[in-house]
Amino acid sequence: MPNPYEVIPATIYDIVQESPLIRTLRLKPDLPIRFKTGQFIELSIPGIGEGPFTPSSSHFGSDVMDVTVMKTGFVTEHIHKARVGDRVGLRGPFGTWYPLEKFEGKDLLILGGGCGLAPLRSLFLTLVDEIKKYRSITFLAGAKTPADCLYKQAVSEWQSYPGVRFIRAVDAIPAGENWEEDVGVVTMLLPKVSVDTSVNPAVVCGPPVMMKFGTFDLLKMGFKEENIYLSMEKKMYCGFGQCRHCVMGSFYACKDGPVFTYAQIKNEEGLWD
Amino acid sequence: MIIKVDDLMAFLRNSVLAESDLFQEVILPLRLKEGSNMVSFLSRLGASDSYFLDGFRAVDPIKLVFYGAREQVYPVAAKPVQRLIAGVKACDLKALQLLDRALINKDFIDPAYKVWRDSTTILSADCTEAGPACHCTLVGGKPYSEGGFDLNLSRIDDSYVLTTGSDKGRELLEVIQCTAVVKDLEARAQKAILEARTKITELVQSRNSDFLRSEEYRGLREGDMSVWGKESRQCVGCGACTNICPTCYCLILNEEGRTDTFVKVRSYDSCQWQGYARVAGGASPRPRMRQRFRNRYLCKFLYMPSNFKTLGCTGCGRCTEACPGQIDFRTVVRDVLELPAPELGNPPGPNAQEKREV
Repeated sequence: MPNPYEVIPATIYDIVQESPLIRTLRLKPDLPIRFKTGQFIELSIPGIGEGPFTPSSSHFGSDVMDVTVMKTGFVTEHIHKARVGDRVGLRGPFGTWYPLEKFEGKDLLILGGGCGLAPLRSLFLTLVDEIKKYRSITFLAGAKTPADCLYKQAVSEWQSYPGVRFIRAVDAIPAGENWEEDVGVVTMLLPKVSVDTSVNPAVVCGPPVMMKFGTFDLLKMGFKEENIYLSMEKKMYCGFGQCRHCVMGSFYACKDGPVFTYAQIKNEEGLWD
Repeated sequence: MIIKVDDLMAFLRNSVLAESDLFQEVILPLRLKEGSNMVSFLSRLGASDSYFLDGFRAVDPIKLVFYGAREQVYPVAAKPVQRLIAGVKACDLKALQLLDRALINKDFIDPAYKVWRDSTTILSADCTEAGPACHCTLVGGKPYSEGGFDLNLSRIDDSYVLTTGSDKGRELLEVIQCTAVVKDLEARAQKAILEARTKITELVQSRNSDFLRSEEYRGLREGDMSVWGKESRQCVGCGACTNICPTCYCLILNEEGRTDTFVKVRSYDSCQWQGYARVAGGASPRPRMRQRFRNRYLCKFLYMPSNFKTLGCTGCGRCTEACPGQIDFRTVVRDVLELPAPELGNPPGPNAQEKREV
């Protein structure tokens, strides 16, 4: 068995500033890393530290990978200092992925907010690569303000795909910013969804409070517990269930997740913290 | 097989002094001070006549020998040296069994742990005494080993009865036989072992007769939070209990490379520390001390059993011994399971009810 701590170095070939605090690093690993959408990797800056991130690109992209990172702590601050041409380290991929085979022929609902859009972009782009397999995709995306919206350049392209509805909402519009789309928390967009909630899957990722109320709203709409897929954010330190930081009861977010169905983990303590 | 204690000790002392072909390192428990029955594996002090294989488990857990407090895991720095560790007690062997399941399994192998595990021969010994905090019998353990060793020693008067448990052990026995007199076992000695084992088991049992056994711990998760709060009042969150626990293996992974090389170093972490489960942005599932305090108990008695099919507690009592707040694990469990929450005037939990009826 190879060393599970093995690091694959990667070169940053492009950086996209998505919002004031969020940027997407475009990476070319020295060895291709084959991940499945929903899985995560550990990204390290030499001598500084590492953290878990979900790739935000399609898993069909063979030898490149996008990683969207919000500046929110020590390691991410250093990631934001990185420049094109710099070297970072990657470990992984780790954990579970979105079960695409269960989405085939279905009307899929994707509900995301803030930096939670990163794994959902990966899911969305992966779905789009084989769009004929899916009946429809409804993607609801929330952000605090228009400036905080992610993947702005891609919006019109995403909205143009057949069978795709991409709807955005912002919590508030600060003075001086323009916004002609919906205003309010992202869950307020749910009434716009017209799918058969008893058989179709929904995928949720975002800040804990959004995931909590998003999940509860979906349940109220009639979505089944086992059809609601959550991407849990815990402190995944090692990636393979050794360090125990991400333990939620008897589950590890890193190897039993990060993609869980709500049915799997609904009884775990501190689920939304 | 049976050997005189003096002969075995002479063999071990010689192995420490002269580098034999078989072992480059021999780790023996040393008395902490003259006349003391407390021993340490890590102690390098004292005259060599203070080696002591009997008594009860060492102050330091055996995990230190296999899972270092700080070890480089990428690139792997551990170099296999053939080692012998002697005087290991049953509770530590049981802990090693859990670590084996956690660190060497089909999904994951910790490279450094595997190196140390493969290159170490374990000579275990039956307990002949019980420490003040020893409570293996409460958690399904025994003060003697029935497996997990390469060679086991059972003390009978001035001799050790040798039991082999693996090929490594049989190989070691052959080496011992080259330099020392090893005789066949008489039926009388068999009986003496059983008697000694029963006696020490009864001693541990009698010292713990006021406490609950692990079969009764099922209600821990439902225990009232205010009782956990009360129990943790003396806890300063230092992490001594987890660092000294033979089954705790939570780690911090540090990146210690330079410019464009990557070096991964793991060191012990503690779920008792505030930053343990905190994610970027500051959210934490267990921000309060009472939650983290409770987490250790649930991990040992619910989470680890569900992950590894064995309790996370071996009854060594080191957490109780190491606690600067003098918190005794046994009383905490008893209080949580039995006490009503007086401040809130709650009725006793279902388990307390049952207990009283029995």
